[in-house]
Amino acid sequence: MDLFPIWLSLQVSVTATALTLLAGVPVAWLLARRRFPGRDLLEALVVLPLILPPTVLGYYLLLVIGSQGPVGRALAVAGFELAFTWRAAVLAAAVGSIALLIKSAQAGFETVDPRLEQAARTLGRSEWSVFWSVTLPLAWRSVLAGTVLAFCRAVGEFGITLMVAGNIPGRTQTLPLAIYDRVQANAMGEANALALIAVGGVAVLLFGLSRMARLKY
Amino acid sequence: MVSLSIAKRLPGFALDVCWESGDQVVALFGPNGAGKTLTLQCLAGLLRPDRGRIALGDRVFFDSAAGVDLPPQDRRLGYVFQGYALFPHLTVEENVAFGLKGRPRDERRERARMVLERLGLAGLEARFPRELSGGQQQRVALGRALAVDPDLLLLDEPLSAVDAPLRRQLREELGRIIREWGKATVLVTHDLAEAYQLADRIVVYESGRVLQAAPKSELLWQPTSERVARLIGVRNLLRGAVLKSTPEVIQLRWREQTLEAVNSPSRLFLPPPGAALPFFIRPEYVRLIRKDRPGPDARHHMNLMDGEIVGEADQGTTWTLFFRLSTPGAPSQETYDLEIEVPKLVYEILEMARDRRWQISIHRGSIQVLPSE
Repeated sequence: MDLFPIWLSLQVSVTATALTLLAGVPVAWLLARRRFPGRDLLEALVVLPLILPPTVLGYYLLLVIGSQGPVGRALAVAGFELAFTWRAAVLAAAVGSIALLIKSAQAGFETVDPRLEQAARTLGRSEWSVFWSVTLPLAWRSVLAGTVLAFCRAVGEFGITLMVAGNIPGRTQTLPLAIYDRVQANAMGEANALALIAVGGVAVLLFGLSRMARLKY
Repeated sequence: MVSLSIAKRLPGFALDVCWESGDQVVALFGPNGAGKTLTLQCLAGLLRPDRGRIALGDRVFFDSAAGVDLPPQDRRLGYVFQGYALFPHLTVEENVAFGLKGRPRDERRERARMVLERLGLAGLEARFPRELSGGQQQRVALGRALAVDPDLLLLDEPLSAVDAPLRRQLREELGRIIREWGKATVLVTHDLAEAYQLADRIVVYESGRVLQAAPKSELLWQPTSERVARLIGVRNLLRGAVLKSTPEVIQLRWREQTLEAVNSPSRLFLPPPGAALPFFIRPEYVRLIRKDRPGPDARHHMNLMDGEIVGEADQGTTWTLFFRLSTPGAPSQETYDLEIEVPKLVYEILEMARDRRWQISIHRGSIQVLPSE
């Protein structure tokens, strides 16, 4: 059995989740703690990927990063290909999952008593230090939960991936696409094996998470 | 020396206050929602006033005209939040050492240990805030603020989180700690007893404004307005019509009686005859004329009045008597005219439970006249 889709899915999901964390946590913090013009717009934009049909999202994404799209063309000049590569699958997974991380982390940050952060400020701590020593340690559970949700969503991402990365065996065929492919080809045994691996992986992840959630801080 | 003059407009509320204090402890006293905590937040740099100036000695924290606005990190204040706001994820020692970041590790540890020792918290270093009693939490919060050696200590309703029986004990402990550490302090409270016991000076707040700022004894004896008198819980707050006013005395007509009161210390207050004037009589300064002694002497017993006790309330160590004058007409306070406070011993010796009709006298120095508003 070809295990490539599993390794590709892992690689894509881990990379996408890392990117999601890097971009999503600051956005979540902004939404939870700052009032600025355009905040409502940003909040709406964040949940958009959850609401729009994945194929529609993928279609617009393709218009932007495809060889004729503005970003695609700029990248092509730099000698970098994005559409229909594994990187496009990463982008698809990140776009499809970032909302889950942001929403969860934002809710976590919002439950942190602002007076604790103010206390840290009066004690001389910079905003950066306040975040790392007060806000994040008190909200890490929500951030972690959001990360796991986002990771699972990234592993399962189908529609956007199909639109922007295609379904190229050995190149961009991730686990969900591979399962779909096997079912289409009536190779039910292989589909079964791949599906079980996916279920097993998620079960291990959730078990680990529930153990961690028992830690107080 | 704290001097503060700020204005801040918020949705549905406007803060416009000005006060200064060279005293060691100043209390911002007033009902909830009067703007006391907002003032503290402006002082600490957590809230930016629209305009004004805040200075501590020669250090200017905020000056809208000069474009100065020090961030909270640079003001060097020790802020003790309402409910303490201890870091729940950090131990007692880590909480106290939180403001010492940037100093060498050994120094941090030593300073934190010293503070904990001085506050009687030795042995609790490794505990988490949730494992502490209310009193211990208060001391950790104070320790966290004091560890950085602040120029000014800010206390926001430090005792509101504590139940009544413990509150008195913690109030005394808090007073002792403030005096021992010798820090200039701004205290926010809606409890007059707390303000009176802990502070040297009291600033009375109401609806975003300062009504009066005075040394505490002066405030209690000479509230400058009827509103302040009401806020500090003055009893027997009455209203009379001016008959005559001189720099020495003011004569008032009240309940068909003529009362004579000493004029205010400034002696500049000369209300015109006929003006309605608020005044108050402290319940503990009303004299009861003993019937077993020779008749009252006009020199010592001024403002004589007859009446009867129509109700009473046991205050534990004293009795509060509700006294109604015999003069016709409606009583000035619901069913009675005056509240009179007598020690239990006096109540028993004079057999007041049985004998309800009394003649009373009020020294003219015990009638405080307030400017009308």
